[in-house]
Amino acid sequence: MLRPRWYKVIHDLFGNKTRTLLIVLSMAVGLFAIGIILSARSILSEGLARSFAAINPSSGTVRTIEPFEEDFLQSVRSMPEVQEADARRNISARVEVAPGEWRNISLFVIADYGDIRINKVSSQSGAWPPPEREMLIERAAFQVIEAQVGDVMRIKLPNDTQREMRIAGAAYDPAQLPAQIDGTPYGYISFDTLEWLGEPYGFNELYVVATHPEDKDWAQHVVNLVKDKAEKSGYTIPLSMTAEPGQLPMDDVLQGILLLMGSLGVLSLFLSVFLVVNTVSALLAQQKRQIAVMKAIGGGSPQILGMYLVMVVSYGVLALLVAIPLGTVGARALSQMLATMFNFNLPTMRIPLQTILAQVVIGLVLPVVASLFPFLSNLRISAAEAMSAHTIGKGRFGKNWIDQLLSGSNLWFTRKLSIRPFLLSVRNTFRSKGRLALTLTTLTLASATFISVFNVRSSLSSTVDDMIKWFDFDMMLTFDRSYRFDRVEHEALQVPGIVQTDVWLQLPVRRVRPDGSESSMMYMFAPNVDDSALVRSPAIAEGRWLTPEDDNAVLVPSALLQDEPGLGLGREIVLKIYGKEESFKIVGTFVGTPFAPIIYANYKYLSKVANRVGEADALLVRTHAHDAASVEAESEALEKHFEDVGLRVSMVSTLVNEKAEAEASFDVLVVLLLVMAILLALVGGLGLMGTMSINVLERTREIGVLRAIGAPNRGVAQVFILEGITIGLLSWVMGSLLAIPMSQGLNQAVGGAIMGTPLTYAYSMPGLWLWLVVVLILSALASFIPARNASRLTVREVLAYE
Amino acid sequence: MNGQVFHTNTSESQPLIDLRNVVKIYSSLAGSVTALQGIDLQVHRGEFLIVMGKSGSGKTTLVNIVTGLDRSTSGEIWVDGAPLHRFSTEKAARLRGKTIGVVFQSFELLPTLTVLQNVMLPMDFARRYSVREQRQRALQLLQQVDIADHARKYPTALSGGQQQRLAIARAMANDPAILVADEPTGSMDSGTATAVIDLFADLVRQGRTILLVTHDKDVAKRGSRIITLADGEIIASETSEGIHA
Repeated sequence: MLRPRWYKVIHDLFGNKTRTLLIVLSMAVGLFAIGIILSARSILSEGLARSFAAINPSSGTVRTIEPFEEDFLQSVRSMPEVQEADARRNISARVEVAPGEWRNISLFVIADYGDIRINKVSSQSGAWPPPEREMLIERAAFQVIEAQVGDVMRIKLPNDTQREMRIAGAAYDPAQLPAQIDGTPYGYISFDTLEWLGEPYGFNELYVVATHPEDKDWAQHVVNLVKDKAEKSGYTIPLSMTAEPGQLPMDDVLQGILLLMGSLGVLSLFLSVFLVVNTVSALLAQQKRQIAVMKAIGGGSPQILGMYLVMVVSYGVLALLVAIPLGTVGARALSQMLATMFNFNLPTMRIPLQTILAQVVIGLVLPVVASLFPFLSNLRISAAEAMSAHTIGKGRFGKNWIDQLLSGSNLWFTRKLSIRPFLLSVRNTFRSKGRLALTLTTLTLASATFISVFNVRSSLSSTVDDMIKWFDFDMMLTFDRSYRFDRVEHEALQVPGIVQTDVWLQLPVRRVRPDGSESSMMYMFAPNVDDSALVRSPAIAEGRWLTPEDDNAVLVPSALLQDEPGLGLGREIVLKIYGKEESFKIVGTFVGTPFAPIIYANYKYLSKVANRVGEADALLVRTHAHDAASVEAESEALEKHFEDVGLRVSMVSTLVNEKAEAEASFDVLVVLLLVMAILLALVGGLGLMGTMSINVLERTREIGVLRAIGAPNRGVAQVFILEGITIGLLSWVMGSLLAIPMSQGLNQAVGGAIMGTPLTYAYSMPGLWLWLVVVLILSALASFIPARNASRLTVREVLAYE
Repeated sequence: MNGQVFHTNTSESQPLIDLRNVVKIYSSLAGSVTALQGIDLQVHRGEFLIVMGKSGSGKTTLVNIVTGLDRSTSGEIWVDGAPLHRFSTEKAARLRGKTIGVVFQSFELLPTLTVLQNVMLPMDFARRYSVREQRQRALQLLQQVDIADHARKYPTALSGGQQQRLAIARAMANDPAILVADEPTGSMDSGTATAVIDLFADLVRQGRTILLVTHDKDVAKRGSRIITLADGEIIASETSEGIHA
């Protein structure tokens, strides 16, 4: 048989269902947010590592211009520094996604689909291996080429061969950048098909796994050895890359996301702590009189504390029963969404025990610790005082400067106005200042986090705008080989609608470090920098853009300074250009993503150094009309014209597409941020509702008094709604201010992880106003519902309320 | 009148309640208020002491001080030989559980416990009986106050008189030597009030010591001694044979 005190605990828990529901929900939303973030973070990290390890990722890639055959591959495999090597043919082609609309596509040719040793590609659906004259498409690329398995697509190669090919199946290749992010779809064909496409046999991409793939420096050394070997064998190496050990191509962005999730997890944790403290202190305030009565009949403090701790722990258990399953479902959904976006499989959806334990600790220990403070302060006052102070509400209004400020003499202008309920609401708000401070802290934190999430979203958009606003052209054409610039410019201007052209050189370079080791490959772009140039400047992070007078000046991406120690503004950088070391001076850094390291130099100087004066690798074109449709039409016309005059174009990119692709690479973040914003709105909103509702429940007796002195139900509800709105507005104002430093911190963290430089700061006004609307609706609802319920009771019932 | 000693000789010379120069000062926004101004009072075993006085005279403060619900500003409070004025709130709660039963004007019953559980709760806190014994004893007490039929109901289902009977049963739960009642009939009609006072009178006959605060002169007549408070001082003390009436 239970002791009577435990009956009280049980009856308190289940007798007042509204209160229990509010408290449990307030706690559960915080726990849910923590659960979803911690679990998703863990599922993604593990899934990423395991699915990447499963493909036996390469330590580096060496590309050759001349095709090589198995004997060279075997000689690389026999190198003692090489654990494994494999080769493919990679050809850039164009695919017709709609009549007359062509997109770039990368086609991989693999000799034996049953024996892929590095960067393993596997079958997702349909045929495997690709049948002759048919192709497989990487699963993430279908949305880019707007096709499905079974469709027939027209493919155009740089050798002008055009063929219709059926998509025989879907492949899964997590080693490539997801097509929806970099805009390039991937296809897979056999060597028989390659022959049918009119291309000679041979590989041009060599993948190696170093003997110690986890050591990036060693891996790079091995890649350089392979590259040297290839060069000695007579192959030209336009590109060689060393991969970050154990990292997928989009790892930086994903790390940014995980970091953001971690930051928001910590913020949610704070939010939960405040919610719990607030809820428990409200509960104890409500039970103050009953605690006093129990003291009066001989209840000892440890006994009473024990009762309330059990009660608080029970709320925690109930909240966990809601939060853990929901958090698990949410985390799995979120992880799946991100894994789909980043194109990797999640081999396990297991929720780690630590996450559950973290939730349990937060859900059980935190409320206990939180309840100790209000309980101990409750114990400090005598039972007699606790019982007498209950007459109407609580708090000592009138004592300090805030109360004085709200006094009648200061609000003389309101005397002739019928706003007494408003005054009562405002003064009520400040009556219990400790509670107000706690409620405001919770809501301010929620407001600031919500607005900050929107700010990061705006900042991402501003960053993309910044990244491309210096490009004064509408499209860029890359050639299969270099041409005289006067010829390509002359031919381009023959096409109606094209008003201005410019050219640049692009060549692979490698940094030579002071110790003689070499970095992985980077692209050096050398545009014109005079007044007529179509490239004004990328978004400068530090320093300046190039001038026509510059000789050996370069601009490097800010992310490079992190990856390559010893570099900095004003310092020298030695670059290997066509096998020759040249010294440059870094005059500026620009905002750029690390997955496409680009170095800018002056065309005039670089063309001399590289012995390529008068040559062009790419043509920049400015058209008369700048809308997407016109630019697309111009690009088709120009491509057709170049084809007619024998200029081979390998890639066409329009600025509109580039922008869309840059934004797409942030899309994942934006979607995630929106999910987080909704989650935080839920946490903050329910927290707001819970806190306010408990505040109103606590004052049920006061409602009785108001009604006893003649206030109509509507008037009573009005007082409480206005009070709720006052608190909501205060938290909104404070939150909108706190969001400034908070979003700067998030911008720094996210931008740092993705690009090595903070995002371009932007304050999101839509986020600010959206949260205002949410706050107003929720605070009005949160106050109205319990006030309406209380006003439905008879005055006698209300005054007897406990 | 300050410092004047009022007492009656009872069968035992050692008072059960002994207040020596008790002062209670409240501080508020309006300034300090002296609620009790050096009260000296002895209550002996078996006495039915009535405390009268106008609103604000210090009656409730006196009850709170005697029961240890509040602390005096100065002075000594001895209850059954124990120095209550030196006790922590914790120790005072234990003393109440054992020695003093408290009855409030507004009953102060716990709404989420049944009538039976309300009576069992002080026994649970005092850890004096097993749960089975608590139950049996609570039922006996409820029979004694004539509401045993309502044992399974919640307090809100009882009338005012029944609720006060329940409050008395709860106060009697640990068989305390002293019962302190603050205007227990204040919110009752005269018939109900008489029945409740009869119950107190029965308890005095059984040997309890009762300190009862009231405004009602008819109720006061039932006590063995009446003291009158005004402005925190005892201004009158008279004995009565009302207990036997």
